[in-house]
Amino acid sequence: MKVEGEHLFKAPREVVYEMFNDPDALGAAVPGMQKMVKIDESHYEAVLGIRVGPVSANFSGNLTLTDEVPPESVTLIIEGKGGAGFVKGVGYVKFEDLGDQTTLLKYTGEANIGGTLASVGQRMIDSVAKSMFKTVFEKLDKILEERWQKN
Amino acid sequence: MTEKYFGKPIKRLEDKFMLTGNVKYVDDIEVPGQLHAAFLRSDYAHARILKIDASEALKRPGVVAVYTADDFGDFWKPGPLQVPPPTAIPGSQFNARTLVPIAKDKIRYSGEVLAVVIAESRYIAEDAFDDIIVDVDPLPAVVDLEKGWENTSVLVHDDLPSNMAALVKQEVGNYEEAKKNADVVISKRMLIEHVAAAAMENRGFIASWDERNQEMTIWAGTQSPLTIRGSVSRALGLAESQIHVITPYIGGGFGPKVMTSLADDVLLPWISKQLKRPIKWIEDRRENFLATTSERDQVHHCEIALKKDGTILGFKDVFYHNTGAYDSYGMTVPLNTQTHTISNYRIPNFYSEIRMVFTNQMVVTPVRGAGRSEGIFAMERMVDFAAKELGISPIELRKKNLLRVDELPLNTGVIGQDFVVNILDSGDYLGNYEKCLEVIDYEKFRKEIQPKARKEGKRVGIGVVAFTEGTAVGPYEGCRITVSTSGKVTMTSGYSTQGQAHQTVFAQIIADQLNVKIEDVRVITGDTNQFAWGAGTFASRGAALVGAATYLAAQKVRAKIFSTASKKLEVPEDELELCEGSVCVKGQPETTIPLGTLAALANPMRGVVEPGVEPGLEATAYYGPPHGSTGCGAMGVIVSIDEETCKPVIERMVMVDDCGTMINPLIVDGQLQGGISMGIGNTLYERLVYDENGQLVTASFMDYLMPLATDMPKKLDIVHNHAESSLKVNPLGIKGVGEAGAIPPGPAIVQALEDAFQDTKLEILESNLSPSQIYEYLKKA
Repeated sequence: MKVEGEHLFKAPREVVYEMFNDPDALGAAVPGMQKMVKIDESHYEAVLGIRVGPVSANFSGNLTLTDEVPPESVTLIIEGKGGAGFVKGVGYVKFEDLGDQTTLLKYTGEANIGGTLASVGQRMIDSVAKSMFKTVFEKLDKILEERWQKN
Repeated sequence: MTEKYFGKPIKRLEDKFMLTGNVKYVDDIEVPGQLHAAFLRSDYAHARILKIDASEALKRPGVVAVYTADDFGDFWKPGPLQVPPPTAIPGSQFNARTLVPIAKDKIRYSGEVLAVVIAESRYIAEDAFDDIIVDVDPLPAVVDLEKGWENTSVLVHDDLPSNMAALVKQEVGNYEEAKKNADVVISKRMLIEHVAAAAMENRGFIASWDERNQEMTIWAGTQSPLTIRGSVSRALGLAESQIHVITPYIGGGFGPKVMTSLADDVLLPWISKQLKRPIKWIEDRRENFLATTSERDQVHHCEIALKKDGTILGFKDVFYHNTGAYDSYGMTVPLNTQTHTISNYRIPNFYSEIRMVFTNQMVVTPVRGAGRSEGIFAMERMVDFAAKELGISPIELRKKNLLRVDELPLNTGVIGQDFVVNILDSGDYLGNYEKCLEVIDYEKFRKEIQPKARKEGKRVGIGVVAFTEGTAVGPYEGCRITVSTSGKVTMTSGYSTQGQAHQTVFAQIIADQLNVKIEDVRVITGDTNQFAWGAGTFASRGAALVGAATYLAAQKVRAKIFSTASKKLEVPEDELELCEGSVCVKGQPETTIPLGTLAALANPMRGVVEPGVEPGLEATAYYGPPHGSTGCGAMGVIVSIDEETCKPVIERMVMVDDCGTMINPLIVDGQLQGGISMGIGNTLYERLVYDENGQLVTASFMDYLMPLATDMPKKLDIVHNHAESSLKVNPLGIKGVGEAGAIPPGPAIVQALEDAFQDTKLEILESNLSPSQIYEYLKKA
């Protein structure tokens, strides 16, 4: 599965970038996230409940941040598995400073999916992923609004 | 013989029980004390197993045992070669890599079993999957056939130098020489897509070890109970008499249920013996898609060489055949493809090469149509392309090259699935084709219907193709017929039944031969304690082989009835005749003796019998043909298609079929209709899709689309056109008919679609078309 998209955050790039390094913010933004723990600067452990059509299951896995170029870009490596299969993905995220206190996030990525998730849920995965990204960005917008305004 | 029942369209005797829910399927069987098995299956298609730790699962309440490959010790080994390759084809290569019952060290397809959980309920067993830690090192998967054949860096079987499962070349005449004299040579690459059997009932298996009697009872949804009895006997070191395999009613077989040596039939008897408890496993639909065998999936590189006048000089076909991760079922499917590619037309020079490829997918074994569909599709398509190139109508080109009545029997020179040279024994191939044109009214369609539709802006096309159906192959089948002292008759056979109405058709033969009421004949199939010889249900061979054996056994019983009655009544045999349920003296209908009384007389309890006398009104007979018999026919379809939605509708279908003698035309029509719906499904709906990592992404009926009743032709005519020669192929003149319907719909429908767009360059090069694929084809046209 390939993913690609962008989102405009109404905050300066440093603030947005910082938020992406905050497990509490990310954990709160991802729907179904049950646990997200920072192991070190670039490693997180997470337990995520996913529902794709008739398949719903918990996935536990790791999130690794590599090739970090603060506050410009980061590469995310996701590996998760659970009763309904596995997900292995790489995401490339870029933060573009648009100069007017806004930041354009651009992402591309690719994920391998296996097990029940692939064999039964394949048809719904794209739309579930899209809807998940949408929810994540909406929540991050809110979090950002609170933080940015507080400052 | 009186023909009160034989050849008559009587209704199926079993239906009143089946349709009112009064029969038992595997899942209806509850054995006291039974435990339930669930198989943890691999999420990966290709991976090295680093560790499987099931210790936590054992702690879950209700879990009785958990097994991984290592727990089976020396019992774990690759299974038998269920179908060996023929040795008669010179130079053929075959690498046997047989199914393993549970993955050890390496996973070779998504869905392969990694662990068996035995628990008090299936729910508990499946919940325990979450407790099992599976650690693997994923590998790239072999999915694409042509790339997989070339690829030597990613190997399904590490001990082989490539992914070649088999390489078989069969040649008749000399294609390359013939090509030199050709005016036209056409080459195409075509895909035959992968489909499932999708029987209504999934597989199921119960193993119950009786420690006191040292006997194993097995209930299995299988087409081959005797194969299972044999393999369990070998695996557990038991005498075959210690194993009783029963096939209860089965909701459809369609081929894959012939496959054995899977996790259930290998591991569950062993586990039942270890735990001394009955173990039950019922397959769910996802398991069926992932890990029950399926078929088709070939890539053909075809070449046809012709003279300007349309005479076919030669045909060449190099095709890749997906065997899946293992090849326990030998080469049945691609050999069928070879024999069927050459089967319809006069083809003096023929070259066919099988490149059978190991892939990271479930094993491929026959599914209704079994290799035949592929061969017929490839040949029929090439004839269509040739017709376009030569500017000859596809109808005339076929009529010119179809085999004539006097050319049969024809030894094609190609060795088939039964290991002998394929003989096209009988039939009127051209006659079938002409009959089909007549019934579908080809001329009227061309002159009136199609031009009128075009004027109205509608797209409608016609396709008429020829087909054959290789059936009734050996080695043999048999049966025993016994008349009880009650006068009731029982027939038992090693054959097994998945809905083919064996209870009706074999009873029809017996009822006429013995002149008894059909209701008084009981047919028992698929119970190894009742009859223990035979090969199993496959290749459309039941009516022909078991039917012939039934006829032969009934004649022996009939002879015994007359000799016993003759002695008792002191009347010469030729003065006796069968009245319903009894023997009577000709001209003296009041002097009768019931069959039950004769059965008692044939089994004296005291006194002496003459040497050589076998007791009872009972006889056993076997029948094995020297070669299979080939059914034949033609199919015409008229297809309309909405240019915007690209949704095809089958307006009309005519199927002309020659299956020799029909025991029951109603049941023959049912078989053809069922086959046709499968053929339509294969062409327009059903498709198994594996992604590039070997994940099956169509493992439910949400994604694997089955044809509905509304997808059947709006009007369907079945025409039986039985040639004289077809009625002599075996004792009853029967050819099989179980697969015929599934074979021609593909090439007929695509020919009709191209015809509907004859003003474009539409050229269809695959066997399965969704509306969106048709749309893509039209964009290119």
